[in-house]
Amino acid sequence: MPTIYVLDVPENTTIVEVASRHSHVAVQAVGPYVELSSSEPIVIDRRATGCRHAVWYSCLAGLSASRIVQWDKNALRIEAA
Amino acid sequence: MSATPLPHLARGVDHAAFPTLDPAATIRFYRDVLGFPVVHSICAAGWGPEKHPDFVHFFFDIGNNDRIAFFHYFGFEPPMVSERGDAFARFNDEMPGFYITSRHLAIHVESEEHLTEYQRRLDESDWPTEMRVQHETIESIYTHDPNGYMLEITRALRPVTPQEDQDAAISVQALLDIADAGTLTLDALLQRKAELILAHAEEWEQLTIPEEVR
Repeated sequence: MPTIYVLDVPENTTIVEVASRHSHVAVQAVGPYVELSSSEPIVIDRRATGCRHAVWYSCLAGLSASRIVQWDKNALRIEAA
Repeated sequence: MSATPLPHLARGVDHAAFPTLDPAATIRFYRDVLGFPVVHSICAAGWGPEKHPDFVHFFFDIGNNDRIAFFHYFGFEPPMVSERGDAFARFNDEMPGFYITSRHLAIHVESEEHLTEYQRRLDESDWPTEMRVQHETIESIYTHDPNGYMLEITRALRPVTPQEDQDAAISVQALLDIADAGTLTLDALLQRKAELILAHAEEWEQLTIPEEVR
């Protein structure tokens, strides 16, 4: 099950919000992080987040049983490892 | 993650020293364009077992009593492999630019107004601002000094949170772990970070986020 961690800081708020629009993505706090886990690939559209590149390309704090399939100016896509 | 930390006794930068082949431009840039006070200098005859040239060592205050210092060695012309790089290190065409500019000095200012003031001073000089960028939590201007050294002047857009300090500690521990394991990739780093996040999450006390960040 793809699981990622995002640090809970204001710049990352929209990243979590966009990811959690998918009903298969579960969100929970783990210490100062937000854990996003999903039965399906996690796909986040960069433009929907409104993030500029410095935030976008440093938004991932951790990957659990997952691999990055896409991380470019368009989207971040995480699948099960 | 670690035992009781060692007492942190260091108190900032006393001075960071660089060679210069162009002392006149260096003085104009730091003293006259940026307005950094000259605070110390040593004019010395060469000595020592090596053939050491006569030199002058001069210092500028960069705030907070921290100093940037330069050496100029009279009559010394270092062998340089190319035009790319700075007065200390030159590179051939195979070296990518990101690596060359990765080593830089960033000087802190307190406000947007102060950052803009330094941008104005640079833009009226022979060393204009090359870019002004807002990163996630900082805003910076950049130029190269007369020696080719990249100089950044930066301000914080918000305070760094305790959570970010904690995350940095985890990142660095994860980096150490993957380096020791011999797998230095971003993927390995993020995998190891996730393990550390889960291992430590429950013991973290709820960290308070400063009001001005929210």
